[in-house]
Amino acid sequence: MGNNALTNPDERLLTVLKYIIKRLIFLIPVLIGVSIIVFIIMRVFSPDPAPIVLGQHATQETVNTWREANGLNNPVYIQYLSFIKGVFTGDLGTSYYTKTPVLKEILARFPATIELAVMAIIFASFFGILIGTISAVKKNSLFDSAGMVTALIGVSMPIFWLGIILIIIFSGTLHILPSSGRINPLLQPPTVTGFYLIDSLIAGNISAFGDTLYHLLLPSLALGMYSMAIIARMTRSSMLETLGQDYIRTARAKGLTEGKTIRKHALRNALIPIVTVIGLQLGSLLGGAVLTETVFSWPGIGSYTVNCILKSDFPVVQGVVMLVAITFVLINLVVDVIYAFIDPRIKFSKKEDA
Amino acid sequence: MKTVKRLMCTILAVAMLSVILTACGQGANDPTDTLIFAQGADPRGLDPAMVDDGESSKVIVNIYEGLLQYAKDSTKLEACLAESWKVSEDGLTYTFNLRKGVKFQDGTDFNAEAVKVNIERQMEGNATADMSYAGFVFGTVSKVEATDESTVVITLKEKNTAFLYNLAMSLAAPIVSPKALKDNNNNVNEHPVGTGPYKFVRWDKEQAIVLVRNDDYWGEKAKTKNVIFKIIKDNSARVVALNNGEVDMIDGIDATVVSQIESAGNKLDQPDGMNINYMAYNTTTPVFSKPEVRKAFSQAVNVPELVKSLYQGYASPADSILPSFVPGYAKDVMQVTYDPEAAKSVISAAGITSVHVITYSNPRPYNTANGQALAEAIQGYLSKVGVTANIEVFDWTTYKEKVKAGDYDICFYGWTGDNGDPDNFMALLSDKDPSMNVSRYDNSEYKDLIAKGKATPEGPDRDAVYAQLEKIQVDQNPWLLISHSKLLSAYSPKIQGYYYHVTGNIFFSEMTKTK
Repeated sequence: MGNNALTNPDERLLTVLKYIIKRLIFLIPVLIGVSIIVFIIMRVFSPDPAPIVLGQHATQETVNTWREANGLNNPVYIQYLSFIKGVFTGDLGTSYYTKTPVLKEILARFPATIELAVMAIIFASFFGILIGTISAVKKNSLFDSAGMVTALIGVSMPIFWLGIILIIIFSGTLHILPSSGRINPLLQPPTVTGFYLIDSLIAGNISAFGDTLYHLLLPSLALGMYSMAIIARMTRSSMLETLGQDYIRTARAKGLTEGKTIRKHALRNALIPIVTVIGLQLGSLLGGAVLTETVFSWPGIGSYTVNCILKSDFPVVQGVVMLVAITFVLINLVVDVIYAFIDPRIKFSKKEDA
Repeated sequence: MKTVKRLMCTILAVAMLSVILTACGQGANDPTDTLIFAQGADPRGLDPAMVDDGESSKVIVNIYEGLLQYAKDSTKLEACLAESWKVSEDGLTYTFNLRKGVKFQDGTDFNAEAVKVNIERQMEGNATADMSYAGFVFGTVSKVEATDESTVVITLKEKNTAFLYNLAMSLAAPIVSPKALKDNNNNVNEHPVGTGPYKFVRWDKEQAIVLVRNDDYWGEKAKTKNVIFKIIKDNSARVVALNNGEVDMIDGIDATVVSQIESAGNKLDQPDGMNINYMAYNTTTPVFSKPEVRKAFSQAVNVPELVKSLYQGYASPADSILPSFVPGYAKDVMQVTYDPEAAKSVISAAGITSVHVITYSNPRPYNTANGQALAEAIQGYLSKVGVTANIEVFDWTTYKEKVKAGDYDICFYGWTGDNGDPDNFMALLSDKDPSMNVSRYDNSEYKDLIAKGKATPEGPDRDAVYAQLEKIQVDQNPWLLISHSKLLSAYSPKIQGYYYHVTGNIFFSEMTKTK
């Protein structure tokens, strides 16, 4: 923060805090909207959960008892109010199908999704920015064309297809990488955070750490491919724009090395839209890695939610959607705050907050 | 300077990563100590009373045991936790002598009181609505008494010979440690404790379930120390995992992947399953109210040819409603044979030129092709005898509603058996509920025989009753029987003693694995 435009850091911090609180308050109407939509969609478009939960020997009588016991015979607004009441008391209900508290079901799976998404976004950002920058600097070179074709393939290729191809190549033919799961179950470290990379380090179990990475390689590659392509394209166009600016010419004229010019002046200024894209991509990876999770049997939240939708497990679907909505909003908030650190020109004043 | 530092960091990180990656891959354990089985979905839970799905019962049968069990390749009954049993003259009182010295995996004793607790929690009044099989298995029980430490007396409300078969089921019937039930608020879905050859270690949701040998098991101890159930949802991913050596056994496969499995050197297991795939004539419509017409339609279809082309050898043409391993199966009862000429003359004499057919679009366990493919195959046969079949296709959920509504001449359905008792299959044609008895078949002779079968004790007399019922099914022909679909599973040649039971359960205690 050495080149901060504002002179008083305390004042600036205060503005940021105010901004964050304001954004958090905005979260409430978003969540209410989301919860109403998911509540109505599930109840209007999903089949009755009772016969699914009760199985092939269910009678009309047991179906009714069960519906009554789970409050499904009440009017929808009463059901909604009791759900909201639960949310505020931290109780998301229990899964119809497994009778386990929804929060527990989610916490058992969300770390897997986060771990995969974070790995994927690290991979995507690193290679995306690298390819994008080089392509911009060496515009119209062979590398540029190759990079952009790769990006085009990455954007167009369905993730599940890429995943299957990777499995066929690396697991099916070469037998060098595992095709499914997060870890060899016998190596699994005791659960502390649910992130196996962290848990295995806490347990000091290096082979578990390695095994986790080993299992992460293919799925994060498949999942990150699309984001990498988007980031590479965004980096390239944003870099091309900044490279044409006067201050780059000035920097070069000052006698700065080309590498420094690109890193300190061009890339840093080009980073704003890239960070936005990375943030958005991370948000969608967290909520929507359904296909990757299915192809790689990744025990995350995405494929679980789809299963629960198919089984009309209302409490779980509601819980997950709320969670994903919160995560998405929070990530956007973090991205917005990060802007300020990258670009001191952005202020959190009333007129400019977006 | 900074660049150099950064470069060194990167090199170091890459080096570390590659060291780790090469170091791992193989776990520290001896691979022959662990059997790995991959299935397509997470179990619903591991409390036998709370679940209704096959994915749960495959795990349950390795942790728990019931009073009785099925024989190795049929559904005949054998002793398990009950050493012997006696049925009273009136068929209402069942006395079980329990095996002595058996302990639950939590160290508590298995005894008559434990049996009582397990049954009573599922009896009317105590059972919750979502104990899916409580009514089916224990619905006829009126009381359970533990007369001494190792004797249980169960009294039924009405005669029901199938009750013994229920006690060998993997749902509802397996005995749970009463202490575990108490400690876990009457729901051991995540804390299963039984008397079986394996005990529960860990369940990482939608990932894996780990079991370890129960060294205090009363019988012959399990041969391999660890069992891992891996959850691999995608069918082709499961095949890749088997061929890649990540897992030793898989199930939930279909005919399309068989060649892939076999060319990788793995083995296929394919016993007939406990199911029936059939076409039902709606006996309440004018078209099919007469048995002669129903029989003529059945004669028009070449079932063996159809089954062969549709299921490519992974289903057997059905010669009885009962699969051959279910007691009561009558070898000498034969279905009508293919005779399009005879069929044509009866049908044209009856003046039938078109029928309204409904079917389902999804594959089902008893019909892996799907209802539409089956209906279209039959449409082809019917056109040869001058009948146009107008087919309507629905997804399974909608389809069940359509069947319940009853607006059809022909529909397609099937059944997966619950308890291996013949009544479980044969009683479908006497059921009051039209969503079970989709032919809406109503025959008092048939119903009387069903009641008689329920009340007759096990043995040749009872088998004769079911043989008679099977004969009525042929003469009256409310259903055209199509096939029994096979249970396909595959395993690596490293596995010895592979054992996948006809009820769709897999038992690990006698399996071993070589390097």
